[in-house]
Parts: sequence; structure tokens; C-alpha cells
Amino acid sequence: MGRTAVIKFPGTTCEVDVYRALLEAGVEAEVVKYRDFDPDKYDAVVLPGGFSYGDYLRAGAIAANTEAVRLVKEMANEGKRVLGICNGFQILVEAGLLEGALLPNLNLRFVSKWVYLRVLRKDTFLTEGIEKDVLYMPIAHAEGRYYHPDEERAKRLAVLAYSNDRGETSQDHNPNGSLLNIASVANEEGNVVGMMPHPERASFKLLSPNSSTDGLLLLRGLAR
Amino acid sequence: MRLTLSPYEMELVRRTLGREPNEAEWLTIDALWSEHCSYKSSKVYLKSLHSVGERVVMGIEDWQDAGALDVGDGWAIVLKLESHNHPSAIDPFNGAATGVGGIIRDIISKGARPVALLDMIRVGPLEDEKSVWLLKGIIQGIGFYGNSIGVPVVGGELSFDETYRDNPLVDVAGVGVVRKDRIVPSVVKRPGLKLVIVGATGIDGLGGASFASRKLSGEDEIGAVQIADPFAGKIVLDGTLEVLDYVEAIKDLGGGGLVVAVTEMANGVGAEVHLDRLPLRVEGMTPEMMLVSETQERMLFAVRPENVERVCEVFEYYEYPCADIGEITANPEVVFKYKGKEVVRLPSRLLLEPPRYTYPVVRKRRPQDNVTPPPLEKAIRAVVSHPDLADKEWAYSQFDYEVGTSTVLKPGEADSALIQLPNGKLLALKGDANQDLCEEDAYECGRAIVAEAYRNLAAVGAEGIGLVDHLQFGDPRKPEVYASFVDAVRGISEAARFFGTPIVGGKVSFHNENKDGKPIKPTPLVVMAGLAKDKFLRPKVEEGRLVQIGLTRDETRGTLLGRIFGQFGELVRPRLNEDYLASQVVIDLINEGKVVFVKDVSKGGLVGSLVPVLAKGFGVKLNLDAMKSDSSSPLAKLFSESTGRFVVITSDPEAVVRKAYSRGVEASVIGEVTEASYSLELDGLTVDLTEEIDRRNRLLYEVMG
Repeated sequence: MGRTAVIKFPGTTCEVDVYRALLEAGVEAEVVKYRDFDPDKYDAVVLPGGFSYGDYLRAGAIAANTEAVRLVKEMANEGKRVLGICNGFQILVEAGLLEGALLPNLNLRFVSKWVYLRVLRKDTFLTEGIEKDVLYMPIAHAEGRYYHPDEERAKRLAVLAYSNDRGETSQDHNPNGSLLNIASVANEEGNVVGMMPHPERASFKLLSPNSSTDGLLLLRGLAR
Repeated sequence: MRLTLSPYEMELVRRTLGREPNEAEWLTIDALWSEHCSYKSSKVYLKSLHSVGERVVMGIEDWQDAGALDVGDGWAIVLKLESHNHPSAIDPFNGAATGVGGIIRDIISKGARPVALLDMIRVGPLEDEKSVWLLKGIIQGIGFYGNSIGVPVVGGELSFDETYRDNPLVDVAGVGVVRKDRIVPSVVKRPGLKLVIVGATGIDGLGGASFASRKLSGEDEIGAVQIADPFAGKIVLDGTLEVLDYVEAIKDLGGGGLVVAVTEMANGVGAEVHLDRLPLRVEGMTPEMMLVSETQERMLFAVRPENVERVCEVFEYYEYPCADIGEITANPEVVFKYKGKEVVRLPSRLLLEPPRYTYPVVRKRRPQDNVTPPPLEKAIRAVVSHPDLADKEWAYSQFDYEVGTSTVLKPGEADSALIQLPNGKLLALKGDANQDLCEEDAYECGRAIVAEAYRNLAAVGAEGIGLVDHLQFGDPRKPEVYASFVDAVRGISEAARFFGTPIVGGKVSFHNENKDGKPIKPTPLVVMAGLAKDKFLRPKVEEGRLVQIGLTRDETRGTLLGRIFGQFGELVRPRLNEDYLASQVVIDLINEGKVVFVKDVSKGGLVGSLVPVLAKGFGVKLNLDAMKSDSSSPLAKLFSESTGRFVVITSDPEAVVRKAYSRGVEASVIGEVTEASYSLELDGLTVDLTEEIDRRNRLLYEVMG
């Protein structure tokens, strides 16, 4: 296990939250500013949430075209682990590291709430070996409606889906209109994962409405 | 640009200077002497606010941009409360968004990291299309800014009242954390420091301070509204926190723009500024525009010459403009030059010492009552359905309330918000106002809102430690308006002293009137901060016994019931000692684990307090005869907003009553929470509230879309 870089772009808001949660999960990590990022120093990288470049143009679009993300792509190609959370997921999609697109929520509003998530794939570094099938953590985004032109393909890639507490993924539990309730996808190899929910916000007992810390189960994937 | 100086003030300026000021100087004086920046009509009374206490690190006396309270272990919280009423009436999205930006910059000006926001919104009735439009824009604007800069909105208030139809109230409070010994001042003490500005100046918000200091004209005033750029705000936030070790003073550019920031920072010493060094957004700006532009996302630093480069490097990393524009001088004059030519030269003293006013007061006369109290069932349905008590998820779900990973109690979850501080302690926050009672009696109301905030904190297990206030009224030159202002100040101050919650900061907003010049109902507002004593309560509704702690008094005047049906009966008069004692009882009960749910009794009386219970799909069975009250009237028992009361759900009612008695507080088992969904059962009357509760749960989603 090596070190994990948490990259801060101008406008990133969740870098310290992710860093603290990674410490809680036992992952050795540090926050790195986007212009100072040296990929050779790290085995894994997290693109945290926020509003990189103020969401100008399209959420994640400008960050996706920075030198830092070019270097993240190289890491991904070498098989290193890459996690994008919320705006980080948007960046990975914009950068072509993950398939599909993240469109404005169906109700066109920013939506902040705690949701249940069904674990669909356990062959990614994030979900490997996880025992639970349903996780609980918050979402907070305006552009999180996952779309993929090929539904079968989307099914293959999906890692998490919005559900109820029993893991049933009906439309009633779809907060943003995502295709097949998809909340997270990975690449085929499972070393690049993007997710709209925030695991770092479900990593501390005190801050969780029901004392669960399911976010840690995922973040420990960076240490496994 | 319009001036708001009075003929008397203009004459005073001419006399003091011994000459006629030029246009740029008039604009400078107009900004500094605006009500918004100078508090000229309120300062005399503000001096009377209770502002001292063991925890006060920085208070009103310091006239800094915000107040600060000691929270232990070397940490302090910085508190700030401000409104953006006038801008929001014209451009709700930008008006509200820039309100958030301004608060955040005030907090970072003290060297503190912003950790929480609260928003208290008051608009016209939901039936009014414009009010719906305003509220949508306001909520979006707050979310847009707060979310983008990564500061959670953790709580707030939402109220709908005819009185705010033309003049909405948009109050935002901010909280920051800072090491107690690292608070950065807003003012300098010595000459020789360089003045460094970050951010480019544009042509928005021209003359905004002056605009905020008069009533809305109905003319096109969009140019006086600032435009929000939260991305720039986030860079300013991050950058400012990075340069704290290299700056001697920080001031944000807010109301009145550059002239106000420079003059207030110099604080009686002098300053010389070269306007041609100012980074600009657009070409063709005149020096006058540069002086009073209120473009957001700008900060002013006083920096030792050797540190200027270091400070600017931090901002340049983010490709953000940074420039050395002048210096603090020994000569006590404020001088602005443009291309070598002097455009403003005015004595600092003149600018900082506008005339102060107190206005005549006249007690408002109330017409004789001719209100017939409503029938009980009708009253119950009306109060339960009132939009003020509706589910607010539509609003707070648009805020990133989890960012920062410190939000313990979420919006809508309890009477107060609760966040975790860097030292591990839990900080409770709540904003309260009460336009119904203030309209009837601003003095009792001033006392009542402080008492309510104190109870709200107790309901989650916290004890108040201090507060900030915001006093919102109509035109102070109207004797009835000024009378209510004076009364509110007296009431708030008295209660703050009683509870030991000093007032560490505040703002005043006058000239809030409707199109016809009718003042809004007086709406002073307080935001109180408190610390959880040990345990906190995450309230949970379940079947159990309902106990009321405190004594119900027949006080229905100045209540929500009165707003709906017309005010009648006796005025709500807080007995502060009852509020204090009942709060102590509740905090003890929380620490002993004796209660699962606590709600203070305030808006809508007992029925209002039971709405959150009913909304969770439970029923309530009440035995009103068992309630301790000075009246046998069911209407009083259900809707009185007399203070000092809580309702709790418990499985051990005897222990609750015993605890209350031990502190000299009344308590009675008044009923139970049952499985009978949405039903309110009284002796001889069962009201099925399925429809009302269902509508209340969906109301804002449906109306707001």
C-alpha cells in the first residue's frame, strides 16, 4: 500500500473532508494542489467533490482539461487506483476516464439528502470484499443524473444504485433521474471508480443520522 | 448616482471643510455617512446593548466586522449576522447570493475559517406569485454561493407574511472558527503599511450602501445590486486563510466599496490610494465608479512592505488579481489619486464621525379589539396548515449542509442546528424572530426572541453563550417605527443580560417598507450560539407519554393564531426566569437520557409544537384538563405562545415531572403519542388531520415546483 493523493483544484470544497475520512479509514493520504501534483509519488488518487472552476462551462469540464488530470489518466492506465467523488466523478466522466455522462438532475435543483445505495459490483477496488449489500450516505449535487446511451453497458459498469433500505431500486428512490438509478460506475478493470454519493460524509458516527459509517467501508478500498 | 445625504448633512460637510466638495468627495461622504455604514440613527441605542461577558473575545465595542466568543481549548468562534433585503427584493438570486458572500468575507477578515451558515427568510404569502418567485431565487442564490464555497447551511427559518410582500427579509448568519490568539484586526494602528487589494473592480453595486439606506424607489435600481461570483469567492476564501501570517489587518470590501474599506481600516490614521493601480474588470471606469463600486469578492489587506510579494503570490497561484494600491500614512486624511491627480482629500475624522441621531418616539395606538376568537377545530386546522409550519425540506435540500463534515444535527432535524467544533465540542445555533409579537409590543418581543433562542438551544442539550442581533424596521424618522426600534433594543439587551448571552455583534436595517410607504412589522432577529453541556439530543418521535414542562398562560396576543384570525386576548409577556429554569430542566433530562423528543413551545403554541410529531405519522391524544394553566380555555391551552415551555416525549413521565419540580418548574403529563396516524384527540373532539399534514409535508415542493 502506498500513498493516496487528494487533489485540490480551484473551487474544490471537499478535500479536507476526504483527507480526514481517509485517515479515519486508515489510508495514508495528503492533499495536493493541482499544480503541484506529482503522480510518481502516489499509488492512488482521489478527486474530491466541490465546484472546480466554479462549474463554469459544465461541471468538471475545465478541470478535466488540466495537466493534473492528464497525469491522473496516466496513473489509471498504469492500473493505479482512481476515485472521483461527486464533482470528481464529473471530472472523470468529462476526461473520458469513465463512460457515460452526468446531466442536470431531473427536477433541475440541487439535491442534498441521505440515500440508501445497493452495491451492484464487488469487483472494483472500492467494493471488493465488502459484506454489506446496502449502504447509507448523503448525496449533494445539481448534476448527477447518470446517462449512458447503451443500457446493457451501463448495467455492466454500475457499482452502486439508489435504493431503499432493503436494496430495492425502484424509481421512488431515484433522487435525480439517473438511468437505472445508477449512483456510481467503474471502468471494466475496476481501478477507476466515480460516485455521486459522498463516502467521506458517512465516515464519522457522530455525524450520521443513524450512527452508521458505511463510507469507511468504501474508503478502506484505498488501503486494501 | 443618487446621494442620500440630507440638506443638513451637506451643509455640515461644507461648514467643516470650508469648501464645496467635488463629486468624488460627495460620493465618498455619502457612502461613509450612509445609514448602512455609519449606524447614525441607531448607534446611540446600540451602545446600550449588553455586550460583556467572560467568553467575549471581541465584542460590539471593538466595532470590528464581527464578534467572537471563547469556546475553550484556545479556540474562538466568530459570529456575524447580516441582511441583504433591498438587493434581494430586486434580484433575489444575486441579492441573496452576495449576502452569503459578504458574511463569509467578514468572517475570513478575522482570520477565521467559516464553518456554518444559517438563513432566515421572510417573504409575502405563497398565494402571491412574486413572493414565490422571490423565495425561489433567494434559496437558489444562497445555495449557489454557500455550496460553491463549501460552507454548509445548517439551519434557518422561513416565514410567510403579508408584511414582507414588497420588502422580503433575507438574513444570513455565519460562524467561523479561529485560534483565540490569532484573530486578525480590521483596523491598523500605525503608518507605513502597504494597502493590498485582491480581486478586480467592476461596475456592479454602484452606490449600494446608499441604496440600502433609503426605501426602495420602484425605479430601475438594478445597477446598485452586486453580482455574485462564488468561484472567485472560494479563491478569496482559500487565499485569505493562506496569507494570515503575512498581513497586519484585513477588511472586506462590502457596503460603500473601496472608500469605506480604506477609511475604516485606517481608522483615524491616514491613507493614500492610487486608483490607477486598481485591477479593473472593464475599461472606461471613472475614478468615481472605482471609489464606490461594490463588486464582490474583493479584500483589502494591510501588509508590511516586505510581505507584499508573498501575499500576492498566493493569489496569483490561482490567477487572481492582487495589487499594491497605496499605503497607510501618518497624516490623518484619506486621499485618493488617479493618474497623479488628487480626486479625494478628506479628513479621516469627518468621514468616521457623521452626525448621530435619535428620533422622536410615539407609542403606537392599537384599535379596540373586535376579533371573535375562532372555533377550536377551525383554529387547529388553520394553524397546522400554516405555511410557516410547513416542511422545509424543499429549501434546505438545496443546500450542501454536510460539507465540512461537522454537521451533527441536520436542517429540519431539531430546534437548533448542531455542529462539531475543531476542539470536539458541539456548538448549537439558532436564529429567531417573531414579527407577530413585535408588531404588538417590540419590547416584550425583544425579550421573547432571546428567550426562544435560548430554549431552542436547550432543546438539543446546549446552553447559550452569546448572540448577534439584526434590527429590521421601517423608516426611523417615523416616530412609531423608532419607538419600536428603541423597545426592541431594550428588550433584547435585557434578556441577553439575564441569560448571560452577551451580544457580540449586530446590524441595523432601516427603511424596510412596502410600496405605499407602510413599514414592515418590526422584525428584530437574533442568532444565538451555545455549547452542548455534555450529551446532545437527536430527537426521535415514537410512542410515549407527552409531558409539558412549564406553565401555560392565557397569552394569545402576538401569536400565529392571531396572525391568522386577528390578534385578541392578552399579550405574550415572557417570564425570563421560567425560560431559564425550564431550559435547565430540559438539558438535565437530555443528559440523563430521560427524553427522546424535545420541542419548545413557540410559534403556533402547543399545537404548533406537536406538528413535527404528527408529521412523522403519529397521533396525539391530549388531556387538556391535566395541563397546568392559568386559564381553562382550550384555545389558550392549545395556542397561547406564553414562554418558558417545552413538550417532551418520554417513557418515564414521573422522572420528568420530578426533575422539573426539583428546579421549581411546573410540569404535567398532558397526553400521549399514539399509533393513530395524523389524529389529534382532545376530550370530546377528535380531529383527523391527514389532509392538513399531508399538504403540509408537500406544500413547498408543490408551490415552488
